[in-house]
Order: sequence, then structure tokens, then C-alpha cells
Amino acid sequence: MPILVALFLMPAASALGAERFALPKFKSGYELPPLEVPPAASDALEYLDVAALAAALALASYLALRARSRRALWVLMAASLVYFGFYRGGCICSIGAIQNVVLALLDNGYAIPFTAVAFFVIPLAVTLLFGRTFCAAVCPLGALQDIVAVRPVRVPAWLDHGLGLLAYVYLGAAVLFAATGAAFLICEYDPFVAIFRLVPFTRPNAMMEAFGGSMGMLILGAGFVLVGLFIARPYCRWLCPYGAMLRLLSRASKWHVTITPDECVHCTLCEDSCPLGAIQKPTTDLPRPDRLIDRRRLALLLILVPLLLAGGGCFGRYLGEPFSRVHFTVQQAERVRLEETGQITGTDDISDAFYKTQRPREELYAEAGAIRGRFDIGGTLLGVWVGLVVAVKLIHLSVYRTRTDYEPDRATCLSCGRCFKYCPVERKRLKTLKGEPTTP
Amino acid sequence: MPTDNTTNNKTTRRNLFRKGGLAAGAAVVTGTAATLAAKGRSDGTVWQIDPEKCIQCGNCATYCVLDPSAVTCVHALKLCGYCDLCFAYFSPGFEPEAGIEAPAVESQLCPTEAIKRRWIEGPHYEYTIDEELCIGCGKCIKGCNNFGNGSLFLQVMHDRCVNCNECSIAEACPSDAFQRVPANHPYLLKGEDH
Amino acid sequence: MAQWKPSGLGPEFTYDLSELKKVDPALIHYEQAASVPTGMMKPKAIAVGADRRLFVAGDGGVRVFDPAGKPVLQFETGGEPHCIALGKTGTVYVGMKDHVEVYDASGKRAAAWKGLGERAYVTSLAVGEADVFVADAGNRVLLRYDTSGKLLKRIGEEDAAKHAPGLVVPSPYFDVALGPEGMLWLVNPGRRRVECYTYDGAFRFAWGKFSMKVEGFCGCCNPTHLAIDADGNFITSEKGLPRVKVHDDEGNFKSVVAAPADFADGTVGLDLAVDAKGRILVLDPKRRAVRIFVKKRS
Repeated sequence: MPILVALFLMPAASALGAERFALPKFKSGYELPPLEVPPAASDALEYLDVAALAAALALASYLALRARSRRALWVLMAASLVYFGFYRGGCICSIGAIQNVVLALLDNGYAIPFTAVAFFVIPLAVTLLFGRTFCAAVCPLGALQDIVAVRPVRVPAWLDHGLGLLAYVYLGAAVLFAATGAAFLICEYDPFVAIFRLVPFTRPNAMMEAFGGSMGMLILGAGFVLVGLFIARPYCRWLCPYGAMLRLLSRASKWHVTITPDECVHCTLCEDSCPLGAIQKPTTDLPRPDRLIDRRRLALLLILVPLLLAGGGCFGRYLGEPFSRVHFTVQQAERVRLEETGQITGTDDISDAFYKTQRPREELYAEAGAIRGRFDIGGTLLGVWVGLVVAVKLIHLSVYRTRTDYEPDRATCLSCGRCFKYCPVERKRLKTLKGEPTTP
Repeated sequence: MPTDNTTNNKTTRRNLFRKGGLAAGAAVVTGTAATLAAKGRSDGTVWQIDPEKCIQCGNCATYCVLDPSAVTCVHALKLCGYCDLCFAYFSPGFEPEAGIEAPAVESQLCPTEAIKRRWIEGPHYEYTIDEELCIGCGKCIKGCNNFGNGSLFLQVMHDRCVNCNECSIAEACPSDAFQRVPANHPYLLKGEDH
Repeated sequence: MAQWKPSGLGPEFTYDLSELKKVDPALIHYEQAASVPTGMMKPKAIAVGADRRLFVAGDGGVRVFDPAGKPVLQFETGGEPHCIALGKTGTVYVGMKDHVEVYDASGKRAAAWKGLGERAYVTSLAVGEADVFVADAGNRVLLRYDTSGKLLKRIGEEDAAKHAPGLVVPSPYFDVALGPEGMLWLVNPGRRRVECYTYDGAFRFAWGKFSMKVEGFCGCCNPTHLAIDADGNFITSEKGLPRVKVHDDEGNFKSVVAAPADFADGTVGLDLAVDAKGRILVLDPKRRAVRIFVKKRS
């Protein structure tokens, strides 16, 4: 995958391609027209994107935490969907920026654009302060799913927790593939980008493509929208790798949206209001007979942790080899090797491209070998990471926590504000604000 | 009251955890930002095709998120031979018995008739690409590379390209010919110094 | 995830030369008898001496092989050689992009002629008894020199009074050869024909016509190379459809030496030579070898 931007680090190369050869001696006075190509768009638009992101985040945080207006949040969300989604085509986005950042940290030849840094860092910082208001009303992927969630059903907690782990796995895989220069998985399998780009209208020929092109993307997007009608925000909850990072930061956020503007009255009215299942009930103060069992389970888990990590590592290393085949160079080397050893007769586009370079085969094999080596390490680390994620989740589920009020789960709550109107305290507050005459 | 005390203790402990997490999170986020800033930032990059790697597989015409594709053929006239019988213009089986002045559509190689030609003098013609008609299939480039000087090549046109983070043509490119180049130097043109 | 994926484009988008590359086997009267690896990355030109020694120019120098294909001599030139020709006394003339260098039989440089300027792109040399002809593709002209490097004549430029049509050279392939009857033969590639001039530059006649079919010269600008055997037969090579053919002394198509199937795709620059035994030597730059073709026995 061509991500290396070594070009401007190279010494000024000579003219590309065909040998310069004098033009015919024209007698009619014909003059060679200059080669004109349109310039690239200026950076101004990118700075506008960053400004729009910062403004939308500030507004979203204000609307969720201070104004407590679901309606205003919805309007902002729709605006974000139009601007970042349909107008900017879903690119640039914070989720994809993870990959640019990983590549920038690991590959010195890659120069990361300023916008990618900004889109990666700003929502993280805002989440540390205010919780996941980015997800509530700024992210276009979230907005699209939020708008189509018309008949959300409740997903059982065990399933929700289990599927939620996928996001961490996806995050790990995206980091691995970006770090090895193999692929930008998040972009490649972004389910909504085909919708943002209105592919059915802008690309009528997409139908003739093989699955995996725009058509495949569109089918994936349509699938997520269909599921999203009944299960609120499936991508956000279970797959989004950026969301996985935000979950961690949101747990520690300085401020966070609350269901009630004041004291919780334990009326239970909000209990079923959250389509994401992110509202946690108060714990009962009664002594629990199963506390001892919980403790035992916890101890067992702590013993299991190293096993989980080691097992994950072994499994990941085993996967390193197949994963490495995603990398262009590895694919090319494999194809060229098969042709060299006569296991395949004839060439294909990938091997033709290699032969065109006239490089020795050994060089390609060595390069591919080095990449495989990186995948061995990366795969192991990915396995350890998955093991760690599972272990932490199990421990987390086993730790008993006391809760006195109805509270949003800081990790999974997206600050969408749907629960506000269920709270009688909130209703009273609004009535107070609207109804009572104010005296100077 | 003992119950209250326990609750308070728990709450304080949780608050302590949260504060620690907040500090750690802030450290990680600012650390990442600082590292990235220290690495230096680029003024933005855009996608471009290296004509030396391109093998004209045809994927540029169909895998772009845009239709027509952001990739079109470019003609470096300074490399062109200005031939009368240009086999990037005529289909390979063309026999000029009927004359070459007004060739029938089926004699033209370009399926979208995007190559235009104009007589200059003697046996010399100037060939230009109509970018509105060109879909970036690369067929003419094969003809030019095979018979002629290789003055035609594919480029990403930056008035069309939306600069996806991951270019979907690049994903489908069998020759690794797509690369990011500085936005202030967005083309890899044959026959020009770089 | 750069996996090979089909473009999904229809058949009208396929560029296919396979039909045109087919040659009736009955027309192929030659077969390869030997092949001499040049040991060069980019061999550019060949010449063969009366003693059947083989000279190959390329990679910044010249290599000499004995008739058995054994390397016997190697020397460097003052630049990247484009073409090579041999004088009767064993003198070696090597054409660079914009000038000619002269070497003695041992590879010692005897002279370097004056440069031909910015536009110059020398592609071929031919050496007669007292003359050296230099084909300059960049300036679309053939220059006649004496052996000391004195310019005598500019040949081939358009001149209505002399009915000279002018040379059309769209790509850097422009060859000259001397016929047995004291005539000069030039390739006029942009007109897909071979033209005859006197040593004084008078245009005599031309033969050759465009056709993708085997009897014609294909593409925009062919033939790329020309050689003439002792009987006056013309041996030509083409690019686009890489093929080597023989035409008789009147320009009638006789036979095929090597068909496109004998060459790798994209083979360009099949320099030619004929040795004293009538064998046809073809430089194959893709195989980096000189391939020697002889008449089939049957």
C-alpha cells in the first residue's frame, strides 16, 4: 500500500520517462503549448475543516452539558452530517486519522498532514474534559446512524459487552496494518463513506465493478443502515476503533453529561430511555450473598490474566503470516516466486509491474521477508492486546461497584441527550425556566 | 452512619481513580500531540500516479469514488512525435486505405473519443486529450508506449480528486503506482524536471 | 489492500495486439543458430567486421567478441554510445548522443569529432571507403564526413527543387546503411519507407509502405533499423510489432527472419548487422544478447 511519502525527501530526480528528443522542425510557426494541469486545492479548506471541528465540539459540549437540549444537539448532529459527511465526503475523519498518527509515529518517511493531527487530538482532548460529545453530534458516522435509529430494540447486556470488545480488536488490527504500511483498514472498510459520497447517483457504473469496489462499500453501508434501524448505532458501539479510545478517556473525563440536572429522585423513569443501554441502575444497599463468589472469581481471573496474554500472543503470531499477505510487497513477492518456480505459468498485473522495474527478484524477496518479520512481531502484539482486552473486561465485570443514583455509563454514553426528557427533575427545571415570572 | 461512610469512601476512591485517569489521559493525549508536532508537519499531501510504475490496468477508470474518475490521461507534447499515423489515436488494426483525414469512429482507439487531433503541417498532427471525455482507462497509453514515444500517461487531476485518506484506486492498484506527493507539487509529469 | 482486482471495463477497453503479432510460419525462412550474451545491462548497437568479429556498444563502452562469441576486447567510450560502425582498416567509429568518436583496432581513442549541438541525437553510422555518414535523428539530417571528421554534405533535408521529401523522424530511431552499388539508404521512419540517395545527397527513390500486415512497416515510425547484405537485400527491424524481415533489392517483401513471438513484449531497438557469411545478427536489448539467425535448410 503506497503510503510512504518519501518523494520530497529524495534528491531532485531527473525528468521522468521517455528520453528527451527534439521536436520536429516546424515551419508553420507552431509553438509547443505548455503542459497545463489544475493545481491542488489550497490548504484553506483543510483549516476550515479543523475550525469547523473545534466549533462543533465546543457547541456539542455546551448543548449536552449546559443547555441540556436534545433538540439542539440533533440539529448540530444533522449539520455535522451534512458538512463532514456529505459535503466533505466523510474524509477527513477522526477515526481514520488513527492510522495516519500510527504511521507518523513509526515511519519517519511519512509526513502527517496537520489536519490529521488536529482531527485525531482535538476530540480526544474534548472527551477528557466533557465525555463523548464528539460522538453525540460531531462525528458524521455517528450522526448517520443516530438519525436512522427509528425503532431501537434493547440488546442484552452480555451481548452488548461482548460485541463491544470487537472495537478494541479492530483498533489493534487497524494499528497493526497501518504500522506495517499494509493498509488503512478503517478507511477501506468504512461502511458509510459510499453513502456520504452518494455512490448510487455519482457512480452509476459502480454496478459493473467486482465486489470490493464502491459497490461492496455501498452494500456494507446499506447493511449497517438496515441493522441501525433496530439497533441504535451498531458501528459506534461495537466496531468504532476511535470510539474504543474515547471509551477509555471518557471514563476519566473531568465533566460528563448527567441524566438529571439536579438530585436523582430514583423514579426509574429514565431506566429504559437509552437506546444504547448506557444507563446504570443504582445498586441495592442490601448485603449481597454472592459477594464471596465474586471475590473468588476475581482471584481466578487474576491468575488467568498471564494465560490470556500468552495465549493471545501465540495465536497472534500464528496469524502474522496470513496478515502479511495484505501487504502489497508480500503479495507481489509471492506471485513472483510462484512464477519463478514454475508453479504458475504466465504473469498477472502484479508480477508484470515488478518485472517492469527490472529489479532483481532477491531484492523483492528480502523486502517481503522483512515485512513478514514485522508482521510476526505485530501479530504477536495484537494477540497480546486482544488477550489484555478480554482480561480487563472480565475483571471489570467482576468488580462490584456501589451506585446510589441512575447514572450514565461514562464509557458507553455518547451524550446524545435522549434521556433528559424522561427525568422529572429536568421537566420541572424546564417548566421553571419557562413558566415562572422572573423578577428583577 | 456506617453505610454512608462506606459509600463516601467508595465515592472518594472512585474519584481518585478518575482523577488519576484524567491525569494519565491528559498526559497521553498531550504527549502524542507533542510527539507529532515535534516530528514536523507537512503542508498537506495529495495522491498521484508514478507514470514509471503504472501498467495501465484499467482500474483507475473504475475504482475511483468519483465518476468519471479523477484520473485522466495527460499528454506531454514535448515528448510526442506528432505522427500522422499515431497508434494511440488509431486502433491497432487500422489500415489507412480509406484515408487518414477523417477516420471513422471504429478506426479510433479511444472508446470514448477523448483524443482529439489537429493537423499542423506536412505529416505532423497535434494530439490533445479532452479531459471531459477521458475516463482514465489507459488504453491509448498502451498504444503510445508500444509504438510511439510514451508521451501519454495517467495522472490524478486535482480539480477533481477529493483526496481520500485512503485512495480507493490505490487499494486496487496492482503496481503500487499511487503515492502521496506534496500538495504544492502535485503532479509527476513525464518530460518535466522534478 | 492492493490485491489484484479486475477493472470491470468492457472488451472495447482492451488493448490487444495478439492477432497482429501472428505471422504465417511459412513466411519465416530463418531460424536462430546462436546467441551471444553481451554481458551488458543496456546494449545499444552492434557491428560486425569482415573477420566476423562482433562489436557491441552499450553501458558506456564497446565489447568485442570473436566469431565463437568469446569476449576478446573491451574499452570505454567518452559517453553513452548510441551506435557503432567499422572502417575497412579496423577503425571503430562510435556515435554518442551529439558527437562521434574514433578508435583504433586496439580500442585506443584516435579522435573525437566536434559536437553537433543541443538538438543532436545521433542514432546511426555508416562507413564507406572514404566517407563516414552520421544519422542525426534530432536534427532530421544525414551528415556526410570524410574520415578525418570534416563535414562534406547535409543529406535528406527537405528541398522541393531537388524533389527531396524531407525526413520525418518522430522517435529516436533513424538508420543509415550503404548499398553495394555506391548508394546511400536511409530509413524515413515517419513515412514508413526506405529512401535511396546518392553520396552527393540527391534523392533517387523510395520503397516501403505502411501496413500492420507483415509485408508493410507498422506503427507510427518504422523500420527502426536497416542492414543490407552482399546481394543488396534489405534487412529491417520494427518496433511496436517487434519483427525482423528481408526485402529484396527492389524492396519487395521476401521473408521473415524473426516474428513478434520471438521477442519479449516491449522490445525496442533491434539493431541489425549481416556478416560475411550472410548470417543476420539481431541485437535483442531485452535479452541483452546478440541473436544470430541463419536460413532454414529446408
